Amino acid sequence: MKPEQIQQALADITAETDPTLKHLKLASLVSAVFRERGIELVVVGGSAIEFYTEGAYVSGDIDLCVVSSRTALTVRLRQELMGKLQATGGPRSWQVGGLYVDVLASFENLARTPIRRLNGPCGQVGISPVEELLVERILISKYPGDYPPARECAMKLLAAALQGEVETDWAEVKRLAKSNAYKNWNEVKELVHEQAQAIQVRSPYHSDE
Amino acid sequence: MNKRKLSKSGVPTIPMNEPMSWEDWLKGRRARRETGNRVAPEIIRRPSSSSDRRLRKLFNGERGLPFKKTEEL
Repeated sequence: MKPEQIQQALADITAETDPTLKHLKLASLVSAVFRERGIELVVVGGSAIEFYTEGAYVSGDIDLCVVSSRTALTVRLRQELMGKLQATGGPRSWQVGGLYVDVLASFENLARTPIRRLNGPCGQVGISPVEELLVERILISKYPGDYPPARECAMKLLAAALQGEVETDWAEVKRLAKSNAYKNWNEVKELVHEQAQAIQVRSPYHSDE
Repeated sequence: MNKRKLSKSGVPTIPMNEPMSWEDWLKGRRARRETGNRVAPEIIRRPSSSSDRRLRKLFNGERGLPFKKTEEL
């Protein structure tokens, strides 16, 4: 991106008062600047859930992980790239455009389904697969103890998936929940049934009974 | 060209295998919020986190910008 394009995008992001749009626009800009150097990023955590659900969950920070990199993402390179955005701070967390951006380590992902892609204003934004987000939030909602904020996220994600707002591979959700990494199939199945009932659609696991 | 999928509420589905356009994503915002509102409170932002200090400093005591109301989406 040319400096003037970055400047224009930054002005738009800084002026944006809608938190979800602000996150998505900033994710698009940061992803574009890293992509130019052969580094692919993906949005993880709360912002990813927000983009799928409009769930009014995000706070003032956005987490991105590295999916692939043609070059070593050194501290120097991170500072150089974030410097193009006039970001302050580092080496993993910066303030830019009125938000905090954290560029974390390599993307930990067990889902076999693809990273979803949105064409943002500055270029594509990768979003962590919904299948693993679902299983992960349901796990966090129960272990090590009950955690209602994670349950509410899971409920909204499930509702969006069941309503067909997010294309979801239910077989993959089941596989992940049964895997050694999660081992929470009973909790997942129970919450899927519960949410299907709440929004009056058929549970994708109905025939598993 | 693939036919665009629609959700049960009639808005474009966030697809699995192809990128979604910005316009399609924007079109579904309100419907997605309304779906979530059927199963959980409208705003579910965590009351606290390990980032509290820096967030509250940046957002005048809050943890982020205020959300748009559903009807404004």
